[in-house]
Amino acid sequence: MATTELPLPALPEAHHEEPGGIVDYLTTVDHKKIGILYMVTAFGIFLAGGVLALLVRLELARPGLQWMGENTYNQVFTMHGTLMIFLFAAQVSTGFANYMVPLQIGAADVAFPRANAMSYWLYLFGSLIVFSSFFVAGGPAAVAWTAYPPLSTDWFQGTGMDLWIIGLAVVGIAGILGALNLVTTIFRLRMPGMTMFRMPLFTWGVLVNQLLILFAFPPLTVAFALLFLERNFGAKFFDAAAGGSQLVYQHVFWFFGHPEVYIIILPIFGVISEVIPVFSRKPLFGYRAMVFAFFAIAALSFGVWAHHMFTTGAIYLPYFSIMSLLIAVPTGVKIFNWIGTMWRGSITFPTAMLMALGFILVFVNGGITGVMIASPPIDFAVNDTYFIVSHFHYIMVGGLLFGMFAGIYFWFPKITGRLLSERLGRWQFWTFLVGFNLTFFPQYLVGLDGMPRRIADYQIERWEPANLASTIGAFLTGVSVLFFIWNFVVSIRRGAPAGDDPWEGNSLEWVTTSPPPSHNFHHLPDIHSERPAFDYRHRGDPAFAAAHTDPTRNPDRG
Amino acid sequence: MTDEAGMLLRVSVFGFAAGVVYWFLSYEPLGTVALLLLGAGPGFAGLVLLQEQRARGGTGESRADAMRRLAGIPPQDPPGPKDLAAEDLGVLPLPTIWPLAASLGVAMLLTGLIYGLWLVILGLGLLAYAAWGWLAVVNRENRYGRLQADTPPPSPQAGPTSDPDPQPNPADAERQEDAAG
Amino acid sequence: MQPRRRVPAVRWLAVTATALVAAGCAPQSVTEQGRAIHNLYNLFLYIAAVVYVIVAVLVIWSVIRYRRRDDELPKQTHGNNRLELTWTAIPFVIVLFLFAATIQAQNKVLDPVAQPAVKVTVTAFQWSWRFTYEGTGAEVIGTPDRVPELVLPVGQPVRVKLVSADVVHAFYVPQTLFKRQAIPGFTNEFDLTFEKVGLYHGQCTQFCGLQHPDMVFRVRVVTQGEYQSWLAAARRSTAAGQPGT
Repeated sequence: MATTELPLPALPEAHHEEPGGIVDYLTTVDHKKIGILYMVTAFGIFLAGGVLALLVRLELARPGLQWMGENTYNQVFTMHGTLMIFLFAAQVSTGFANYMVPLQIGAADVAFPRANAMSYWLYLFGSLIVFSSFFVAGGPAAVAWTAYPPLSTDWFQGTGMDLWIIGLAVVGIAGILGALNLVTTIFRLRMPGMTMFRMPLFTWGVLVNQLLILFAFPPLTVAFALLFLERNFGAKFFDAAAGGSQLVYQHVFWFFGHPEVYIIILPIFGVISEVIPVFSRKPLFGYRAMVFAFFAIAALSFGVWAHHMFTTGAIYLPYFSIMSLLIAVPTGVKIFNWIGTMWRGSITFPTAMLMALGFILVFVNGGITGVMIASPPIDFAVNDTYFIVSHFHYIMVGGLLFGMFAGIYFWFPKITGRLLSERLGRWQFWTFLVGFNLTFFPQYLVGLDGMPRRIADYQIERWEPANLASTIGAFLTGVSVLFFIWNFVVSIRRGAPAGDDPWEGNSLEWVTTSPPPSHNFHHLPDIHSERPAFDYRHRGDPAFAAAHTDPTRNPDRG
Repeated sequence: MTDEAGMLLRVSVFGFAAGVVYWFLSYEPLGTVALLLLGAGPGFAGLVLLQEQRARGGTGESRADAMRRLAGIPPQDPPGPKDLAAEDLGVLPLPTIWPLAASLGVAMLLTGLIYGLWLVILGLGLLAYAAWGWLAVVNRENRYGRLQADTPPPSPQAGPTSDPDPQPNPADAERQEDAAG
Repeated sequence: MQPRRRVPAVRWLAVTATALVAAGCAPQSVTEQGRAIHNLYNLFLYIAAVVYVIVAVLVIWSVIRYRRRDDELPKQTHGNNRLELTWTAIPFVIVLFLFAATIQAQNKVLDPVAQPAVKVTVTAFQWSWRFTYEGTGAEVIGTPDRVPELVLPVGQPVRVKLVSADVVHAFYVPQTLFKRQAIPGFTNEFDLTFEKVGLYHGQCTQFCGLQHPDMVFRVRVVTQGEYQSWLAAARRSTAAGQPGT
C-alpha cells in the first residue's frame, strides 16, 4: 500500500503568531484566524449595506424621485436589508464567537476545526453568490428582505432573485454547520473545572444563539426551497387558485424570522455582560438569573413569530400577543442586572464602556417600542410604517452596533496586541450616538403619522422635515464609522502595546498573551469561579482566598 | 442530570407545551408542527446526553456539588492543566485546503440549480474530490497518531532519545508490517 | 456647586422628556374602532415613558455616582435573589395588565357589527384599488394616476371585504389607526364606523412591487344625504361602463 511512503507531516512552529499570508488564511483551520476572517468579511458587508442605506436616505430626504427610479430603489432597500440581516448581523457575532469562545472555556480550538473553516468558506461563497446578483440581467432582487410570494415567485423572473435564494441557502448551511460546531465545543471542550455555570456570559450568549440557529435556520431553508421550486419548477405551494396558500410562506418564514433577531442580539447581550463587569470592577450581578433569562428569551422567541402577521387577519392574536409581551420580562431582568452590576461599582469609561452604556440607553428604547407593537391593536396602526422601521433599527443598529463596537474596543487588544485610540473612540461614540438618534427618532414620529415603509417616494409634504433630519443623521452615522475605520487603520500599526490584560478582565482569554499563541495558552490557572482571570490576578491574596466567587456557593445571596 | 441535558430538556418541554396549547387555541397546523418539532429536537439531544450520562454512571456535576455542600465537605475542583502542550487540551489539525474546496463544490452545486446540470455535476465532482482529500487527511491523522502543534524544534544534539522507558512507536510497527507485506 | 448645577439639568431633562412623549402620542382616530386603539396606545406610551425614564435615570446616576475614585475594589456583590424576584414579578404583572388592556381594546376593534349599513368589497391589485358597493351596482376603480375615492356615510357601520387580485397588499387609512392585509385567495372582513366627515388619505402598506408607493386612495366620509346622492350617480356611471373615482 502506498501509505508507507507518506512522510509524517511537518510540525508547524507555534510559539509566535506569524501574520498569515494568503495561503495561510486559505488553508487555516485555526479558530482565531477563522474568527478574523468572519469579522473582516462581515465588516466589509456592513460597509456595503451601509452605503445602500445612505442611498435610501438620500432618496427619501425630499419628496419626489431625485436620484433613482422606483425599481432601483426597491433593489437598494431589498439588498440593504438582505446584506445587513442575513450576511452581516449574525456573522459578526460568529466572528467574535469563533475567536473568543475556545479561549474563554480553555480549549485549544473548536470541536471540528476543519468543518469550522468550511463554515466560513460557505459563508463567503454564499455572500459572493448574493453579490453576483448585482451583475446579472435585471439586477438584484427587489422584493424586500422578506421576499413574500406571489411577488417573489410570479413577478421577478430575472436570475437575480434566484441567486439571492441560492446564495442565502448556502449561507444558511454555513450557519447550521457552525452551530453544530460551537454547541459541541461548548458542551464538550471546556477545560477541567469549567462547569457550565462558570462559563462567561459571552459564551452562554453564543451557546443560546447557536442553539437558536440550529432550530431556526432549517425552516428558512425550507422557505427558500419552496420559493425556488415555485419559481423554477412549477410548484404551486403559494398559489391560491391551485389550492395553495400564501400564508404558508409567512408562517414558515417568520418561524425563522423572529428567532433570527434574537440570534443577532443574544451574543451582543453576552458582550455587554462581559464589558460592564470589567469596567465596574464588580462581578456580573445575578449571573444565574442572566443565564436563565437567556434561555427564557430563546424559548419564548420561538413562540412569537406570528406577531409579524398580526395584520393578516389569519392568526390567533391573543397567543402571540401574550408571548411577545412576556419576552419583555427576561429582557428587563437583564437590563436591571447590568445596572445592578454598575451600582456601587468603581466605573471607568474607556470607549468599550461608553459603547456599552450607549447600548443600554438605545436598546431599551427599541425594546419598549417592541412591547407596544406586541399589542395587536397598536400593531394595526403602526405595522409596515416607519414606526416599525425605527423600532427594529433601534435594536439592530443601536443595540447591535453599539454592542459590536463595545466588543471590538474590548477585544481588539487581545486579538492584535495593540490598543485602539481612545480619543478617536470618543469621537466615534459621540457622533454615532447623536447621528443614530437623529436618524431614527424622527422615523417614529413620521410612522405614527402614517408614512408607510418600503416606498421610494412620498407626496405628503409634512413628512419632509423628519425625513430630511433622518438623512442628515444617517450621514453623521456614516461619519462615525469613518472615525472607526481611521482608528482601526492607525491603531493596528501604531497603537499602544496592550499587554496580556489591559482591562483587568474577568474571563480566561485575559490570562493568555495578546495575541494568543496558536494553541491558545501557555499555561492555564485553576478554575474556581466565573472569573478565572480575576481569581488568578488575586491569587495569594488572603482577602480573596476563601471567597470562592462561584455563585452557587456564595453566601451573600439576599 | 447534567446542566447541558437539563437545559435542552427544559426547552423541549416548552416546545411541546407551547405546541399543544397553540393547537387548541388556534387549530393552525403549521405553527403547531413547528413548535412540536422544537420540542422534539432539543428533547432528542437532551435524552441522548442523559443516556450517555447514565452509561458513564454518575450524577451530574451540579448535584454532586450540592450533596457535598450539604454534607459540609468543601468543594474540590479538578486542577486545570498548568503548563500547556496541545496534548493536554486536544488535537490541533494542520492547515488544509479541503474545507475551502468542499465549500466551493457545495456553492457550485447549488448555483447549478439555476444555471444547469453541467454546473451541478462540476460542483458535485469538486465536492467528491474534496471529500476524498479531507478523508485522506483525517485517515492520515488517525494512523500516525495525534499531532502536536507546539513542540520545540529538535535540539542540535538530538541523538538517541533520553526517554528512560521508550515505548515502541505503533507507527513504526505499521511501517515495518507494510514494508514486509 | 454640584446641587445647583444639577437642578437646571434635571429641569432640561424633564422638558425634553415631556416633549418627546408628547410628540410620540397617537394621532386622533376618526373611527369608533380606532378610538380604542388610540387610548390603548397612549396607555402603553405612558407606561413605556415611565419605564424608560427609570432605566435612564438609574444608568446615568450610576455612571455619575459610582465613577472610579480610587484603586480600592468595590464590594464584590454577586447578586440578590430577592431583588431578582422583584424585578421579575413587577414587570410580569405589568405585562399581564397590558395584555388585559390589549384584549379589551382588541375586542372593541374587531368585534363585527350585527348589521352593517354599507358593504364594500375592496379589491387590491397592482397598483390601485377597486371599490364595489355590494348590492348597489356601484363601483369605483382607480389607477396609479387617478386616485380612487372610497365614499362612505358618516356614523354608519361599514363592512369591508378585502381581497387581492394578485400579490399581497394592505389596506391602510392612517387616521383610522387600522390596516389589514389583502392576501390572494383569502378574504378579510372588518368593520369601520367613521365618526367625522372629512377626506382621509389611504395607502397600500404591504410592499407589492414597482409602483407600490403610488398605490394610494382616499376615503371621503360624507353625510347620509350626500352619500345617497353620490351612490345614485355612481350606480349610473358604473352601469354606463365608466366606474368613477
